[in-house]
Amino acid sequence: MAGSTAKTVHDIFQSMEYGPTSSSAATAQAWLDHHSRSLGLFMDGKFVCPADRQTCSLVDSKGSAVCSTVCAVDHDVSKCVSSAVIGFKAWSSLSCFERAKVLLKMGSVLGQHGQCVSEVCELSKTSCSPSTLLRLLQYYSSWAQLRDSLITDWSPLGVVAVVASDDCSLYSLMQKVVPALAMGNSVVIVPGRSSAPPALLLAQLFMEAGLPSSALSVLTGSDVSLGAKVAQNPNISYVTYSGNKQDGVTLCKATAGLGVPVSVSPCVGATCPFIIFESADIDSAVEGVMETAFKAKKEVQWVLCVQESVLDGVVSRLRLRMAAMKCVALASEGDRAQVDAALQEAQKQGATLLQPCAAPPSGTQFPPTVLCGTAPSSPCVVNPPPGPLLPLMSFRSNTEAVSLANHSPHGQAASIWTEDLTLALETAKSLSVGSVWVNSHSMSDPCLPASGHKDSGTCTDGGQEGLYQFLQPSSSSSSPPLPRSSSISMDYSNFGTATSPAVIPNGSDPASAPKSYLQFVGGKSCKSESGSSVAVQSPEGTTVLAYCPDGGRKDVRNAVEAAIKVQPGWMKKSMSARAQSLHSLAKGLEAKRRDIAASINAQTGLSLEEADKEVELSIARLSDWAACCDKIQGGAPPVPQSGFALSLPEALGVVGVVLPDNRPFLSMVTLLGAAIAMGNAVVMVPSQKHPLPALAFIQVLQSADLPAGLVNIITGSRDQLTAALANHSVLKAIWYWGNAEGCQYLQYTCTSPLKTLWLHCQKEEKDGGMDWTQLRPSHKEEMWRKAVQWKSIWIPTA
Amino acid sequence: MLLKITHHRHKMKLLPFLPLTLSVVRVNTQAVLKRAQHIQGRKLAKKQWQAAWLLKAVTCIDLTTLAGDDTPSNVHRLCLKAIQPVRYDLLKSMDMHDKGVTTAAVCVYPSRVADAVKSLKAANSSLPVASVATGFPAGQTPLKTRLEEVRMAVVDGATEIDIVINRTLALTGQWEAMYDEICQFREACGDAHMKTILAIGELGTFTNVYKASLVAMMAGSDFIKTSTGKEAVNATYPVAIVMVRAIRDYFLCTGHKVGFKPAGGIRTAKEALVWLTLMKEELGDDWLHPHLFRLGASSLLADIERQIYHYVTGQYAAFHELPMA
Repeated sequence: MAGSTAKTVHDIFQSMEYGPTSSSAATAQAWLDHHSRSLGLFMDGKFVCPADRQTCSLVDSKGSAVCSTVCAVDHDVSKCVSSAVIGFKAWSSLSCFERAKVLLKMGSVLGQHGQCVSEVCELSKTSCSPSTLLRLLQYYSSWAQLRDSLITDWSPLGVVAVVASDDCSLYSLMQKVVPALAMGNSVVIVPGRSSAPPALLLAQLFMEAGLPSSALSVLTGSDVSLGAKVAQNPNISYVTYSGNKQDGVTLCKATAGLGVPVSVSPCVGATCPFIIFESADIDSAVEGVMETAFKAKKEVQWVLCVQESVLDGVVSRLRLRMAAMKCVALASEGDRAQVDAALQEAQKQGATLLQPCAAPPSGTQFPPTVLCGTAPSSPCVVNPPPGPLLPLMSFRSNTEAVSLANHSPHGQAASIWTEDLTLALETAKSLSVGSVWVNSHSMSDPCLPASGHKDSGTCTDGGQEGLYQFLQPSSSSSSPPLPRSSSISMDYSNFGTATSPAVIPNGSDPASAPKSYLQFVGGKSCKSESGSSVAVQSPEGTTVLAYCPDGGRKDVRNAVEAAIKVQPGWMKKSMSARAQSLHSLAKGLEAKRRDIAASINAQTGLSLEEADKEVELSIARLSDWAACCDKIQGGAPPVPQSGFALSLPEALGVVGVVLPDNRPFLSMVTLLGAAIAMGNAVVMVPSQKHPLPALAFIQVLQSADLPAGLVNIITGSRDQLTAALANHSVLKAIWYWGNAEGCQYLQYTCTSPLKTLWLHCQKEEKDGGMDWTQLRPSHKEEMWRKAVQWKSIWIPTA
Repeated sequence: MLLKITHHRHKMKLLPFLPLTLSVVRVNTQAVLKRAQHIQGRKLAKKQWQAAWLLKAVTCIDLTTLAGDDTPSNVHRLCLKAIQPVRYDLLKSMDMHDKGVTTAAVCVYPSRVADAVKSLKAANSSLPVASVATGFPAGQTPLKTRLEEVRMAVVDGATEIDIVINRTLALTGQWEAMYDEICQFREACGDAHMKTILAIGELGTFTNVYKASLVAMMAGSDFIKTSTGKEAVNATYPVAIVMVRAIRDYFLCTGHKVGFKPAGGIRTAKEALVWLTLMKEELGDDWLHPHLFRLGASSLLADIERQIYHYVTGQYAAFHELPMA
């Protein structure tokens, strides 16, 4: 500073440089001083500073110490969670109106202390404007008010743990905390390093707003392992995570087998395409790049895709606009090494650099850099290094833009620039990402639901749709689908490798020899790839009823390949065409109802009369789903920004379903109907115990007018097939009814790429509390909601 | 740095009319509005940075009087104020008294050009006199008289001519006719600088503003100027962004730097700082000098001088403490 204050008016008059804009942090400093610069844990409505704990110190962007936080240990976790249980009772027993009032009050408390909040955020290097937090509170307070009238038959989960990685922003964290609270859950926040101080401050402010003490607690630690520790507590009902992918995977693996559902929103570090079409307002598009691509701290990694016809125009404008830019500070020397290595590699492959100035030979200062002439195979695109780097690729046609953008494991968001409305909407529809910004970027609002597509997440945040992750269907008697357990030590590489026991029937006469069934892959009945089959036992377990194929990895591969080929076409079909196909399936089932009933009877021992009823119920269920096809729709929620925003439900793609033992036929038809009505293709693994009804159903499928490959049925060892499904990257979701070991295996394995899991640990005749014969509306809703992912499209206008 | 400051005045080349470039013009209104908000929302510098920027703004002002009751006496006052826009003692305390801080020009009606030239000459000043012309402000007079107006102002000693475009031609899409008119004005200006007023308040859309900007530049304007100050909507930041981006495009195509002059409704020191920020952000430091940037204003100077007074003395000045224009 001393050097800069010495500048005379004349110096500045000549150079016309920007002056220092010093932002004061007085109120934040006062708050921190009040806490002696060491922030404790927040539980029971107050700060607790247990002695003899390790601490974590936090420095601001200039490197000076801000404060220290406590690293919670097991004892703190159990104390905190048990108080959160009490907090849940107090908070969930309030009326909707009272909960809404607290959230609204929090809005006004935030208004009073907005300065302090934004200063604490600034010091913690996680800038977040109080106005966006205010919008969160206002939006969700109205949902808190309307929960019981608009979301009937659903109830809160209990204690929800919201975990964030060190680089997660305060907004991404609160985006999960506020809806969880609004739905009546109590929340334990496990913030990352940078979001810890503001999260603690907000927790304190929530108390001032009248939130029952211990309905919101904050546990700080040194890394994401604390999140796993919290999840181990049996009173935690749900864990949701926001932050970088790596820590998310660590959390998933560490919580596998605990019997707690975990969802992940890896919002930090995803690669997002920034597409400039020739029909764009190029200047505004370039300005968009300038605003977002070279920030010192950016949440996503942009890749610039420019139509070849305007490439020169874009590059020359970028060059002009970048000319005045200064170097950006990297986080560490290590980052610098990564950046240097990436640039060298890119240059070796012929990329040219666009920089305002040459990079200093060493140090953490680095100039904004556009890497022109990169390709999807370039390491800086595949594995983007940190820092102000922007790879640039060119494309020839509109369709090529879409394939270029979709050719990525990530599916977080995309920004597209064109003045052509049709092109904008067509492109928005074709991109497999959660948010599409037309002629804009990085917009967000809590009223819009967005799911991370592909590897970018396993849950939907925002909108009414995002509330369901914090709710469960109210059903008085049932046990939770995934009961708490402790993870078993298992060898993941051995799961599902046991060979099926060979049962050789003893000397029955050839006339009554058990029938050999075929499985159904790609629209054709076939044997398993291995050619072998397994015996299906009668209900008493004394005789062999039939043989079914012993499917394996290759059968799953064939099925998924067939499924992904037809699924996009199925999704694009008109709603009524899809409904028509489901009706025809119901009709086909009607025609074969005797056969099916007989196989249910033979398989499960259910009386013929009962079995016939089950088939009838199945027919009704298919008609139900057929009717739903055109009733489930997105909308255009009103956003505070000027313009339009659309939310669209989209199919997940190919869903793997490991079916329940209970009610083997009805449950299969119900789940199948939900999945394909929403536009998905399925690979189903019938109950290992009761596969015959599903196999008998193949004849119905064959005569139905469904695209070949949309529905696949593979029988065999459940574990082996589960492992095969888990290891196929094309599948976006797995619905699983099975044992605790299988649940743990899936939770552990389905992290790369991420799969959305719907797990049920079935014991005896109960499977996740679902009574298949009397499906409650909330169960049905849960089913179709599990079968879609949401996309939001922003079209801002003047 | 790509942009090297080239201070010499080059005569603008006339480009042939290019209808193709006009047909592909696209402006996204909301993105431009957002950009304008962003620029307005920037934190402005304080202390000596503020003082220096304000003095820079002073040197870019075309100190203007365009009223029906202008007479030699108020034009004389204006000229003297232009020569010494900020009190000498204030400048001295910042060590800026000998750095040639004057306004960029004085701007008057054609009939007052001779008065202004006389006043400035008497004060030994070489400050340029700018004259509005071509049927200012509406431009609804015959082409012949509009051309004659330009020539007479030049004869009277104006070295800068602010012409207004024919909005009728712009609104009816007769861009080539407009181009031809401006080319004739260019010729009539001779060696005088030509600033072309687009009267953006009457052009309807951003796209029209962009097209009018390009046409004006192709026809050889040294500056493009937002408005006459007599329309309902005058210099706004979003429109300015569209115009300066046209300037940037023109520069990218031809290598020529065309200047920009917002005018009308600019009254406060803070607005002046935002205008400078806008130029620095969109076009770079080259456009922060009077040869490429002008502020058309009359009452702005008083507010800037008050701010500078505050910077120097720590006190807020009463109006009578600062010399009137």
